[in-house]
Amino acid sequence: MASNNPSVFLLMINGQIEGGNFPEYDDLYCKYCFVYGHDWAPTSGLEEGISQITSKSRLSPHKLIWNFPLEITFKSTNPSGWPQIVVSVYGPDTFGNDVVRGYGATHIPFSPGQHTKTIPMFVPESTSRLQKFTSWLMGRRPEYTDPKVVAQGEGREVTRVCSQGFVTLTFHIVTKDMKKLGYDGTPSDPSNTLSQASSTGLRPHE
Amino acid sequence: MAELHIIGQIVGASGFPQSSLFCKWGIHTGGAWRLLSGLKEGQTQVDLPQTGDMAYWSHPIDLHYTTKGLQGWPKLHLQVWHQDSFGRCQLYGYGYCHVPSSPGQHTVRCATWRPLGSWQEQLAQMFVGGGPQLRSPDLIYSGADRYRLQTEAMGTVELDLGIIMRHFDKHGVEC
Repeated sequence: MASNNPSVFLLMINGQIEGGNFPEYDDLYCKYCFVYGHDWAPTSGLEEGISQITSKSRLSPHKLIWNFPLEITFKSTNPSGWPQIVVSVYGPDTFGNDVVRGYGATHIPFSPGQHTKTIPMFVPESTSRLQKFTSWLMGRRPEYTDPKVVAQGEGREVTRVCSQGFVTLTFHIVTKDMKKLGYDGTPSDPSNTLSQASSTGLRPHE
Repeated sequence: MAELHIIGQIVGASGFPQSSLFCKWGIHTGGAWRLLSGLKEGQTQVDLPQTGDMAYWSHPIDLHYTTKGLQGWPKLHLQVWHQDSFGRCQLYGYGYCHVPSSPGQHTVRCATWRPLGSWQEQLAQMFVGGGPQLRSPDLIYSGADRYRLQTEAMGTVELDLGIIMRHFDKHGVEC
């Protein structure tokens, strides 16, 4: 199974979209998709998904829980274009139309182990006040034609957005053959790196 | 030849007087480094947060460098600007930080500063906005002529940078 000179390495992601924190909105569902570079290809698992619709409850009036599974494995020859997950959250407005409540994206962590990430979500802003009013009235808010734009750096300088809400994701990462190909992505002493993602690696230190 | 991957995000900024902010960023390296893929400069979107003080950009950075030497390790320099409701832009801060030199995930907090003018310029800045700017952005990350400047402190930019290194250990580099 394992070759002595591997040419590709594998990245296995098991995780979930735990839930969100949107103070002003309720009854939300989320969609996710993965964005990756030319050298990457998914080998198994689902690249996209839509979750259930969740509401805030009496017991936890601030938390929205999706508990939505993420399972995918990628193979690649090159860490450039490392996969990112793009999450878009939608919900009903006052008139009952389905509008976008936030887009967010983050890179998949690359050291093996468990990671928790909380990503900020933002929506595009209308250009003028009149447009803002008509879009509120008609239920057609500004949205991206392709949510994958959120994962790219080009062309963002002309957009204005309003950040509202956060989504929490958990990942469990396993990599294969990254070390054999010479890539070193794990810290030699985890206490040295200040990390906002909590990382409890199960691999022994080398 | 050793390779370095910088994969991460400019997360956002906080601590500035107003919060409709965007950031122009760039990476500067020495002569021994060559960029293989990725964009080495860019500009984020303008973010106006609904709640709280922190503006979030989540601007992705994905760079692949190859290098023949350790000198001129990549430096990330930033300019934080404020855009008001009329579309006018005003400088809010300059800052720079070195790209971390050990593999793994790093959270980097980059402090920023703004040049201070004379008291007449400061008074005008209070009413009309604007203010002195650097003529060339090299001064953000070099120490050469800094002694001529007087600056004031501004907010902080938060970055999430992940570093993957390849073949550094083959050349005997410990990091």
